[in-house]
Amino acid sequence: MPYKPVTLKIVDELRRIVGEAFVIFGDADKLEAYSHDEVAEKEYAHLPECVVRPESAQEICAIMKLANRERVPVTPRGAGSGLSGGAVPLFGGIVIAFDRMNRILDVDRANMMVVVEPGVVTNEINERVREFGLFYAGYPMSLETCYVGGNVAENAGGGKAVKYGVTARYVTGLEVVTPTGDLLPLGGKLMKDVTGYDLIHLMVGSEGTLGIFTKITLKLMPLPKANVDLLCLFRTPDEAISAVPRMMTRGGVIPTAIEFMDRTSAAASCRYLNESLPYGDAGAMLLVTVDGADAGVVEREYDAIGEQALASGAIEVYVADNRTTSERIWKVRRNCAEAFKVISPHQSIEDVVVPIAAIPKMVAGLEALSRKYDCPIPCYGHAGDGNLHATPVMNPAWSLDRWHETLPKLLGELYELTASLGGTISGEHGIGHKRKKYMPIVCDPVYMNMMRALKKALDPRGILNPGKIFETNGNDQ
Amino acid sequence: MRILCPIKQVPETSSVKMDEATGTMIREGVEAIVNPLDLYAVEAALRLRESQGGEVVALSMGPPAAMTALREVIAMGCDSAVLLSNRAFAGSDTWATGRALSAAIRKLGHFDLILCGERATDGDTGQVGPGIAAFLDLPVATYVGGIDEVDAKHIRVRRLVEDGHEVLDVELPAVLTVVKEIGEARLPTLRGKRRARAAEIPIWGPDEVSAPREEVGLNASPTRVVKIFKPKVARACRKVVAKDESAVQAAVGELVAFLKSKEVI
Amino acid sequence: MLTTDKSSHRGVWILGEQSKGRVQRITHELLRRGRELADKRRTDLTAVIFGHAIDESDLREVIERGADRVIAMEAPGLAEFLVEPYSACMLRLLAERKPEIVIAGATSLGRTLMPYVAVKANAGLTADCTVLDIEGDTGNLLQTRPAIGGNILATIKTPSHRPQMATVRPRSMRPAERTAGRKGEIIRLVAPAESLASRIKRVAFQSNEEKHALQDADIVVTAGRGIKKGENVKVVEALAKELEAALGASRDVVDRGWLSYPHQVGLSGKTVTPKLYVAVGVSGSIQHLAGMQTSEIIVAINTDPDAQIFNVADFGIVGSLFDVVPALVKALREGKANDQ
Repeated sequence: MPYKPVTLKIVDELRRIVGEAFVIFGDADKLEAYSHDEVAEKEYAHLPECVVRPESAQEICAIMKLANRERVPVTPRGAGSGLSGGAVPLFGGIVIAFDRMNRILDVDRANMMVVVEPGVVTNEINERVREFGLFYAGYPMSLETCYVGGNVAENAGGGKAVKYGVTARYVTGLEVVTPTGDLLPLGGKLMKDVTGYDLIHLMVGSEGTLGIFTKITLKLMPLPKANVDLLCLFRTPDEAISAVPRMMTRGGVIPTAIEFMDRTSAAASCRYLNESLPYGDAGAMLLVTVDGADAGVVEREYDAIGEQALASGAIEVYVADNRTTSERIWKVRRNCAEAFKVISPHQSIEDVVVPIAAIPKMVAGLEALSRKYDCPIPCYGHAGDGNLHATPVMNPAWSLDRWHETLPKLLGELYELTASLGGTISGEHGIGHKRKKYMPIVCDPVYMNMMRALKKALDPRGILNPGKIFETNGNDQ
Repeated sequence: MRILCPIKQVPETSSVKMDEATGTMIREGVEAIVNPLDLYAVEAALRLRESQGGEVVALSMGPPAAMTALREVIAMGCDSAVLLSNRAFAGSDTWATGRALSAAIRKLGHFDLILCGERATDGDTGQVGPGIAAFLDLPVATYVGGIDEVDAKHIRVRRLVEDGHEVLDVELPAVLTVVKEIGEARLPTLRGKRRARAAEIPIWGPDEVSAPREEVGLNASPTRVVKIFKPKVARACRKVVAKDESAVQAAVGELVAFLKSKEVI
Repeated sequence: MLTTDKSSHRGVWILGEQSKGRVQRITHELLRRGRELADKRRTDLTAVIFGHAIDESDLREVIERGADRVIAMEAPGLAEFLVEPYSACMLRLLAERKPEIVIAGATSLGRTLMPYVAVKANAGLTADCTVLDIEGDTGNLLQTRPAIGGNILATIKTPSHRPQMATVRPRSMRPAERTAGRKGEIIRLVAPAESLASRIKRVAFQSNEEKHALQDADIVVTAGRGIKKGENVKVVEALAKELEAALGASRDVVDRGWLSYPHQVGLSGKTVTPKLYVAVGVSGSIQHLAGMQTSEIIVAINTDPDAQIFNVADFGIVGSLFDVVPALVKALREGKANDQ
């Protein structure tokens, strides 16, 4: 093994750095909680040897210096709500948990910026800034539990990306601890900055492999005063998906969100939440959000988009224009992933993304794959940005062996299809170690080599979150 | 079947914030919605109309802004609506609210059924429904969770009580207050929204419903709010560590004493 | 303005409840409230109960728990609650005897009968009071109740109408203590036939299979992942049983199939606001807290002193649930035995 184990001596040193109470070592029950994220299948889990819960950047610098010196792998971990195994300590070693670094440091109203520590729950940012008429546009589906540090590490997308874009758009400053233990401030509260390489956006979405964030500066937006959701019912997934390009282009309005749920997904989530949505015998539905500063404008906009839905064959278009009803519908959408996990632990939440005009082909392809492999593939996702969470679920009639044998073939074919449509294998969940073996399907070798070179330059001893995005060959370090 | 639904516009309570200094509610930025429990009544009314024919009329008392709430239920499918809105109604308690609503109902003519939500989420009293029944001298069944049968003269309902449910045969006309179990409320549709925008909703004052001024509003309200204050929410956790058997005994003893002092056991 | 002559009204009443002729616990809780008010007001306390063939020893117990007088108004048509006969009988008694204060439980009966009667009696009524008191100089009843989803408390009075009527939440107080041999008057009245007309007929009754529905429960005991194994649900269940509580579960416990979904408390489960919430082996994820943190009193038992649940708890025991819970069950059982 290239990595050193976490010895008692190292544990003692960690205890000196963060304090005795904030090191978890030798307690298998407690360590277990840090061995997995929200990826359902057990094979992606791995136990850490030790967990530390620091409360400052200085402590993290000291931890990294120690780990680098001793060559112990370190895996940073947010709320553990990831879906690609990004926070799993593949080689054991140390997990850095951010639950104590959970302060909102500064709400800067004059600059419309907020400075937070990585352990802040994403939704808390909005709860804090709402009273100032501001909002943070990031809206991952796990926003009630996930940490903003994880959002930045994965460059999380979510439900509002159609209009507002993904996390990276809002990150203007980062404080980063490098793999060698240096503290690196990047950016600030600037709206423009071309002073040198854009290292902030190298860090955003690097899945915890290039640096550890200790402070994040995020741009805020004026809080939309009006927000309306349309729940559009269609007979078939194909009809629903085919309506998306039309609703995006012909209504003359860019909606905030266009989310897609097929019947199976919506039903599973409703059952999970003990909720009921009036989808009747619809085969699929689109959830469309329109927001803006003026209720009258929003009303005209949702009318226009709703009209396009009806013109594209929607059976019914429901309107939710208050927070209670909106929340009822969105909660169903947000809990799709969760609901499937309860139904079967043998499933694979996928995250493919294609150009929006190619979505109907993607959905048709999914149906063909489902038939070919005799494997249910319920599907939901962010139709408005071409990002679909197709989720192959083990056919209940299969043996586990058959599932493990079939899934890689099915995924391989799914990814080939995605690539042929000009898409790629992950839009927002990340590669982690769940998808790394499929990278060659969509990534040029030159690109892969460039990433390896970058990794080596920033993390010469290969200790930071090794084995993610691409294979780590410990011996070549 | 002619059905009336009295509804109330309420602040969306989960987003309510209190002004610490004055102990009053900050209305700024708080959404006004149709009382969620009234939506179950509207849903039950619409289902009855679908099976029995007839019409559903919505009625609300409140400020002019409550018009939005009435438009919302028209968008769900109600046929028409009336708003009781006048300074003279201000400060009504549940007695005076029931008085004003029942006067308006009399003016609107005969109804076979008056369907109310169990209570409003802001006032939380649940008194207006039975109150209307008393003013109109109609029978009332509360906590109705299901309707089993209905004809021109009777309705058979399931009334949810503490340890089960009663099956009641109620002579019509009658007042029912319904609970969630009656069925999830439908959402307004895009077409319904358009219809609601165009609907004409009359606004009535005390004169329109022939209610003498001394019988409406604060003047007619037997109860008075003396003081409004914020409940203490700070929880100072008394944490006892119980590592060995004697510590467990001591901790449990302290907990039992604590629960007794709070009168929960 | 329709006011009443206040001086002609005196005495505190509580509205007792019976089922199949047996007096119910809510009656004893109301006696504690009523006794305090009657003493403060220097007047007597009357319990009024409608029903049929009400058990004599139960009526005597009402006296022993603090009433000076019990009025049992009886008829076969009053055996079960029906709003019209109950209100007609009550209005008749109110007109004859003119009490100053009437308190009822905020039960399905009290919350139906009281508003119906209050309208017809032209009386002020305040629902779901948590605190009742007497105003020093005026002798008015001060009624404090939560409003706007528990965000505020309001104190309300009825300055010029009588009687002053209020309902209080069941289990918001312990039953009044029993003093054997305490003297008082038991008055049995036959309900007049003209007061028994009803346009509602009760044709059947179906009792709940699950006795305590989670959301209506006054006490909830919740099992979290700390129970470690499905069969350990019984440890927590024993405590729930002892407290007559509904059994809740964290998401982890439901996900693992140790308890079924209807038990789940939290964001993706039910929101509960009981008087007492006992979290056993629950770490207190944000998910979970969202479903229970507005409970009146929160008790947490957890091995991890840093568990989130302690941040919202009023009382916490840091220790193994497998030691603490059985000890607690035993202590509660002994406590009950001593009270009898």
